[in-house]
Amino acid sequence: MNALLTSAVAGLTAAGAYALLGVCAVFTFRLVAVVNFTGAAIGTAGTFSMIGFISLGVPLWPAVVLGILVGTLAGALIGLVMTQWFSEATATTKAAVTAALLVGIVALGLRLTGGQSPKEFPTLFPGSAFRLAGVEVTVASVLTVVLALVFTLLADAFLNRTRTGLHLRALSERPMAAELLGVRVRILALLVWAVTGAFTTFALMIIAPQRSPDFMSLSLLVVPALAAALVGAFRSFPLALAGGLTIGIVEGMSSAIDGISQYRGILPFFVILAVLLWSQRGARWDEAR
Amino acid sequence: MTRTLDVSGLVINRAGLPVVRGVSLSAQKGQISVLLGANGAGKTTLLEGLSGIIPTSGGDIALNGRSVIAARAGERARAGLSHVEQGRTVFRQLSTEENLLVGMAPGADLADAYDLFPELLNRRGVRAGLLSGGEQQMLVIARSLLTRPEVILIDEMSAGLAPVVVQRLMAAVRRLADAGLAILLVEQFAALALRIADHAYVMRRGELVYDGLPQPLLADPDRLHHLYLGDVQAA
Repeated sequence: MNALLTSAVAGLTAAGAYALLGVCAVFTFRLVAVVNFTGAAIGTAGTFSMIGFISLGVPLWPAVVLGILVGTLAGALIGLVMTQWFSEATATTKAAVTAALLVGIVALGLRLTGGQSPKEFPTLFPGSAFRLAGVEVTVASVLTVVLALVFTLLADAFLNRTRTGLHLRALSERPMAAELLGVRVRILALLVWAVTGAFTTFALMIIAPQRSPDFMSLSLLVVPALAAALVGAFRSFPLALAGGLTIGIVEGMSSAIDGISQYRGILPFFVILAVLLWSQRGARWDEAR
Repeated sequence: MTRTLDVSGLVINRAGLPVVRGVSLSAQKGQISVLLGANGAGKTTLLEGLSGIIPTSGGDIALNGRSVIAARAGERARAGLSHVEQGRTVFRQLSTEENLLVGMAPGADLADAYDLFPELLNRRGVRAGLLSGGEQQMLVIARSLLTRPEVILIDEMSAGLAPVVVQRLMAAVRRLADAGLAILLVEQFAALALRIADHAYVMRRGELVYDGLPQPLLADPDRLHHLYLGDVQAA
């Protein structure tokens, strides 16, 4: 039991990152109507840039800031591609474009970072925050969960209480109608891509030391992120948050169980499958009748 | 007379085929210009080209004497060219009042929208997707008014609405023109539209076949009919 609890707590860092990436995926989908497969890859690009800056002699925290800036710019660049050439495309086409971009970013990232050889990432927030039932909870774990929670609350408040948020909600529903009312839709869309780029980069910087630290593995964190977003039906921030936390914690717990620990990586796929089957239950019921 | 919107020789192609062929027209401050024509004549395409939704292939569009042909839709909107699209394009998840606030320009007053359509006041907290068709049409016209436009392009506002609601909308549009706006109204209910119009255009197969006063068309429905169908030469 204690081993399970320890593993669950160990999974908290991943849980917070999954939750944050999932909430970012919901944010992107709700506001620019794109299922974004490049989210984690953008964050990975920023994280590897941080390593690059450190190797050039830049101190840790300035390198973190520069890495986040690279992630922000990478997000804005993807946003520029999407708004310039695919703003009127269907959701399926947009998703396919981001999947293609993911492949391109990963290929480029592997080339620039020396293939799949792992890199050493600095631990941004070392040490223990507190003990929970005799288990050490790391600062990194607490921070990722808090960051996910803060992003959820901020996103919700921003969208519902500010004029720019109102514009974004209008933009997400009818981009052309919003533009015909004088809303600066392209700038707002770029803002959404840039903000999610910044947050995903910071989340990946925190989680990178605990994952397989190569470009491909970090980029594929998009899978649990999209699983979390799917739990929230790509609409609900709190449900995406809960989905990400649950996937991370269950993944952590499964590492303590012999026989299934080596398969814990496929948990997000099970979640995706389960949510999709659940969402189809109405159609099946109608067919059965 | 001030020519707020001046369109000259406008050409719009769709899928490589000319849909609007060298159309020249104007909308003047304080006037309603009605644009009539059969389905497929190119009226909606023309409005979409004017507001920047689709690209144009030739000609010019001037707003208060300044060409806006190279401007994007949003820039044209901010310059004072508003487009009320067909199909009542409300933001369904936003409340009535939020819909009004989306495009509200500095200096605009929500009270103006509720003054034009008092029906919306009691429905201001209701999600726009739950409004009736007539209320949604009122909302998109009121929403357009709050952008403080100089020209409003209105496309098929009466489609699918009860005659009493259509008359209510026509009266409101007349009121907007009397307040100094230039209105270009595309409408299928020809007789109703001609009654409130100051100027009329008829379009057939992408070209204007009538450019003149509305009264002759009102007085002679057969002529209008023939203009639609192509049996009579342009006036």
